Amino acid sequence: MMRIGRSIFSAAAMVAACWLAQGEATAQDAPKVYRVGLLTSGPPGVGLLGPELVRDFVRRGYVPDKTIAFEPRAAQGKIDLLPALVEELVASHVDVIITVSYPAAIAAKEHAGGIPIVVTLSGDPVATHLVDSLARPGGTITGVSEIATELSAKRLQLLKEAVPGVHSVAVLWNADDLGMTLRYRAAEEEAAKLGMVIVPLGVHAPDDFDTAFTEMTKTPPDAILMVTDVLTNLNRKRVIDFAAAHHLPSIFEYDSLAHDGGLMAYGPNMSDIMDRAAGLADRILHGAKPADLPLELPTRFQYAVNLKTAKALGITISESAQLRADDVIE
Amino acid sequence: MSAEPPAGADRPRRPLFQKYFLALFIAVVVPLLASGAIEAWFGYRDERTNISQRLRTEANAAAGKIQAFLDDIRDQLEWTVQLPWSEGSDERHRYDVLRLLRQVPAIVDVVLVDGKDIERLHASRTDPDIVNSGTDHADDPAYLGARAAGVWYGPVTLHKGSEPYMTIAVAGSRESAGVTIAVINLKLIWDVISAIHVGTAGDAFALDREGHLVAHPDISLMLRGEDDAAVAALRRLQQASLAAGDEAVAGADAGHRTVLAAMARVAGPDWMAFVEQPTVEALAPLRRALWRTAILVLLGALFAAALAWLLARRMTGPIRLLEEGAALIGAGRFDQPIHIATGDELERLAARFNQMAGELALSQERSERIARLKRFLSPQVAELVEQAGQDEALAGHRAEVVVLFCDLRGFTAFSAAAAPEKIMSVLGDYYEALGAIIVRYEATLTSFSGDGLMLLLNAPMRCPDNPAERAVRMAVDMQQAVQALIVGWRRRGYQVGFGVGLARGEATVGRIGYEGRLDYTAIGSVTNLASRLCAAAEDRQILIDEAAAASVSGTIALESLGTRRLKGFDEAVPVFTVGKTIITGEIDSRVGT
Repeated sequence: MMRIGRSIFSAAAMVAACWLAQGEATAQDAPKVYRVGLLTSGPPGVGLLGPELVRDFVRRGYVPDKTIAFEPRAAQGKIDLLPALVEELVASHVDVIITVSYPAAIAAKEHAGGIPIVVTLSGDPVATHLVDSLARPGGTITGVSEIATELSAKRLQLLKEAVPGVHSVAVLWNADDLGMTLRYRAAEEEAAKLGMVIVPLGVHAPDDFDTAFTEMTKTPPDAILMVTDVLTNLNRKRVIDFAAAHHLPSIFEYDSLAHDGGLMAYGPNMSDIMDRAAGLADRILHGAKPADLPLELPTRFQYAVNLKTAKALGITISESAQLRADDVIE
Repeated sequence: MSAEPPAGADRPRRPLFQKYFLALFIAVVVPLLASGAIEAWFGYRDERTNISQRLRTEANAAAGKIQAFLDDIRDQLEWTVQLPWSEGSDERHRYDVLRLLRQVPAIVDVVLVDGKDIERLHASRTDPDIVNSGTDHADDPAYLGARAAGVWYGPVTLHKGSEPYMTIAVAGSRESAGVTIAVINLKLIWDVISAIHVGTAGDAFALDREGHLVAHPDISLMLRGEDDAAVAALRRLQQASLAAGDEAVAGADAGHRTVLAAMARVAGPDWMAFVEQPTVEALAPLRRALWRTAILVLLGALFAAALAWLLARRMTGPIRLLEEGAALIGAGRFDQPIHIATGDELERLAARFNQMAGELALSQERSERIARLKRFLSPQVAELVEQAGQDEALAGHRAEVVVLFCDLRGFTAFSAAAAPEKIMSVLGDYYEALGAIIVRYEATLTSFSGDGLMLLLNAPMRCPDNPAERAVRMAVDMQQAVQALIVGWRRRGYQVGFGVGLARGEATVGRIGYEGRLDYTAIGSVTNLASRLCAAAEDRQILIDEAAAASVSGTIALESLGTRRLKGFDEAVPVFTVGKTIITGEIDSRVGT
């Protein structure tokens, strides 16, 4: 009897819930144009500010200019511009800001008021105190974290595996950026284990690249490892050209640089990062709070080997490296 | 037909229409409601069973997909434990691992342990590979687990407090092939779990035995680490499902939706795969069925109401007609028949009403006629005349009749001197006394004027006995009654007497007069004779003609007064009288009492 009574009650409650929920479902939001601010310390139109991110949003059902509008802002290496760019985004009432690089993330955090921020390529956000923890970011920031520091050592190993004869490796990095310096140090540590020698070539400004090139011309290393940030990325072409001219194997962080002519690249899959960033921004546009959205670590890694470059350099890439590569450019 | 109640009729306290309407309505609606409720109840139970079965099937499918994801990884790992560790096999093992890392993106780290528990290779996606570290895995539960069961699934751990990782270890069939221990990033189950849809809004997720979320379409939920409220809601669903067995359970999901959820086990790692569907959606067929039932009940109720209204109307309409008809009859209008053609008892009742009205009309007519007859006939005679048929009885004909006249002596002188109220008082007593006697003797009163009366016997109805004798006895009674009055009158000084004359003979009897004022009378010499005899009679005297006297000889003692000359009669007429002694004696005896 009790059971039946309870069942009847729960049945009635469920039916009531059905009707209530139906009522809620009919009250739909009016179509709204979401505004997404894109902020990078680097160049415009590439990477996260390129067409791929737009496609990620389209794939989630957004229609550009109808239900979503993008506000791209690029500091083009001039980090002091970032706060002003953030102010611009605030003024254009963006609903969320997606940042590229740590300087962009910190500028957004400091100047965007309460606007939710999705960070990418900004190192380890917990270590840099952008957020409280990966699982519970706590503030207005979420995004895709990086595990770039340890990857420097991995790159060095991959370099040795692909071109076993490599002994001395010149490392190019932005010496002004703590995150980049940490990456350099990881490489240095690993080199000791592998019995390799690191030639540190820290740069501070575009002009420093000439100094670095002069250095490498004077005492040629066996290979180049470039730590990628806005500064080095803006000068990637020069590094790739120099490596080609001097028949130096090189390894970069993102597969796009291998496609640009670098010999190898190993790092998190950029498309994956962009897609996750778009995914998090989408959740925020649908009302989720950044504090409730854990930061995500890169899941997929891309190992690209450019055999054309290898051929041009006159280098043979080892069999195991070719086997390991996800992307072999021929 | 008028819907208005007849004038003066009160509204019924509980109108028939209301009663019929209610009764009919309830008779139809109650079974409808009952059947609707029963249908809804059983429908609900069936639907719950259906939903349970469907969700369980979906849960099994989801568990199968998760299992397939893990099995695929296991199969790939098995490729790395085919080859026994021997001199020169290191490179081939390394190639196996490189291939594995490329094939299975979910693998973060791989460790190859040889048949002697020694780690030979540690390959990672993020860290430099380590070859021949020499670490002993003899006490590693992963190694031991894989050795014991072939495959070992480790507990779920949170990488950097966020990302769920799990270790899978696979042992080769030959001990020398060693064991491969791989760390899996469970985030990659997302591809599998997010592809599972139940209905339009339902989805799937999985928890391990400790309640860690190992698969969910919302990646963020998987990354929230320990003690998350949303995951706690899923754990409650897990507890409820474990308690409910095969039944689908209701509860809130991570997004605070009310859902129905079913569970299936993922055998390998001992996980539980769940599918959930919003209750709203899951119960949509039931809701549709309930709507159908509700609409049917409503239609039934409307139909019942219409039917009840019609039937009640059919009942009360004729009843109102009957009511109106009865009112008309009450008002004495018998010429308005009630028209009811319902073919049922009501029609019969109306026919009865009409019949009754007709009979009442006849009866009234008759009683009016009797009332008319009673003006000159005694009530009994009037009844008889009425029964015999008025026209026949009252038609003019010759008949043997006895005519009796009587009047007061000295009344003219008295009336000239007395006050009107005294006159009327005397006449009132006089007629009251005579009226009772006339009625008793069933005599026909043809006329009276002032103190004089003319009575007729044997007409219009024949007397059963001797009319003359009856007339004489009546005259005696009249004399006695009036003489008794006269005693009183004389005491008051009124000098009046009373005389009676009667005669027997043939006369023409019948109605005379005009429409509205008809009298019955007898015409003939016998009438004249009786009138003359009355005029000739002294106070206390009853004069009787020869024919009447002859009729009563032997029954009543008469004395002859010889012959008398009477006005209007050429010859002297023999006259008889009832002995004065009889009258006086009777009077005396009456006075004495």
